[in-house]
Amino acid sequence: MFEYFKNKLFRRFKNNEANIHELNYLFWECTMRCNLNCLHCGSDCSKNSSSDDMPLEDFLSALDTIEPKSDNFMVVLTGGEPLMRKDIEQCGREIRKHGARWSMVTNGYLYDQEKHNALLNAGMGALTISLDGLEESHNWLRNNKNSFARADNAISLARSSTRLNFDVVTCVNRKNIEELPLIYNYLLSKSVKAWRLFTIIPIGRAANNPELILTDQQFTEMLGFISRTRKLKTIDIKFSCEGYVGKFESKVRDSGFFCRAGINIGSVLIDGSISACPNIDRSFIQGNIYSDNLFEVWNKKFQMFRDRKWTKTGQCAGCKDYTDCQGNGMHLWHGDKENVLVCHNEKISN
Amino acid sequence: MISNWIRNLLRGLSVTSMVFVFQACYGTPQDMKYDMYIEGVVKARATGDPIQGIRVSLTETDQYEFTDDRGVFSFYTDIATSYPILFEDEDGGQNGAFMTRDTVLDPENYTIFFEIALDRE
Ligand code: SF4
Ligand code: SF4
Repeated sequence: MFEYFKNKLFRRFKNNEANIHELNYLFWECTMRCNLNCLHCGSDCSKNSSSDDMPLEDFLSALDTIEPKSDNFMVVLTGGEPLMRKDIEQCGREIRKHGARWSMVTNGYLYDQEKHNALLNAGMGALTISLDGLEESHNWLRNNKNSFARADNAISLARSSTRLNFDVVTCVNRKNIEELPLIYNYLLSKSVKAWRLFTIIPIGRAANNPELILTDQQFTEMLGFISRTRKLKTIDIKFSCEGYVGKFESKVRDSGFFCRAGINIGSVLIDGSISACPNIDRSFIQGNIYSDNLFEVWNKKFQMFRDRKWTKTGQCAGCKDYTDCQGNGMHLWHGDKENVLVCHNEKISN
Repeated sequence: MISNWIRNLLRGLSVTSMVFVFQACYGTPQDMKYDMYIEGVVKARATGDPIQGIRVSLTETDQYEFTDDRGVFSFYTDIATSYPILFEDEDGGQNGAFMTRDTVLDPENYTIFFEIALDRE
């Protein structure tokens, strides 16, 4: 009974959030350059990406259109690898001067003591470090024999800060799934407080590498691991927002599935395109900061994200879980949008 | 507006309070806003000229910054009740030689601006 009302309330809440569509979380794809060459990179970025970094002033002009900014508004620097930008501290400082808070996602390779100090000085408030396994599996996925040691050092530094809200993300695949308990022990030994797990979807480089994609059974095992570990209350472990997981919904996250793309989450991509999460198919692009006013686009467009009835197609059309799932994460719709690319719930049921 | 009213009501209910703190798959956790901005200018007491290259460190954290050619330094740091700060001339005579000095700042709001003078060695 309680679950029934809770779900009903949560659905109401989601509809309401879509109506208000307050922009809280703006990704800035500030560079496509990267110092690693990960096997699962969805965006196909590489060391010598042909896209130039976006000039800071261009992003700031777009940021200035967002007025008033919501209380929780923040800019999330992403890439590529944001630390490839030489002016990353200046970017952070200017974002603060322009009235926004900022955070960053990094592979940790270039994150040393000096960088840590400079980024904190520049007002970085949150950080996510990718760690995809213990040494062997992390280095395999990251395609670099030093990447684990560097990420390990970055985690120690991040942990030493009392004000940084920091977590570790792990991309779970066939090579590291058995290792999750060991990664858990490792993270506890590093006093990491928060750990987020996500899976790889078959796009980009990952599409040609079956070792990266979990079997349905492994996927269910992973959710079981998250659920059991949450009960221990030793670390704030959760499944990422990536998909609706049916009977595991209340067991693997703090709240139910809610894809906030285009509802609270927007992005400015490397070429100025305006979208929601950066991993969303480029056919969803809503405008471009070089020709449009970012905030006007946010307020007037993004209908596909805020009214998801169009996702009631393909296998979602007759789905009994549709009201709670609403066609899964937006990053799972590609091309002609005739069917969802992955149904997480179906993996569990099988 | 009715939507905002509903939002505030839901925010108050523990069952949904967590949902206001979120992160996207490839994003970061929320910034919890635990910081304070400190900015200052370091000058020579005798001449009033700005001093470049002074290492300004917060002695209770590992944070430090060097003054630029206008003698200016700035950083965001943890919220605290007081800020012991150390000023050290680490570049020898390169921008003039100055004596080390420390001070303690008391925050009144979330921003501190101040000026400090150093004596020549
Ligand atoms: S079929 Fe579609 S709506 Fe149903 S659970 Fe799967 S992704 Fe969600
Ligand atoms: S598009 Fe994907 S990553 Fe973005 S909020 Fe939705 S589920 Fe999460």
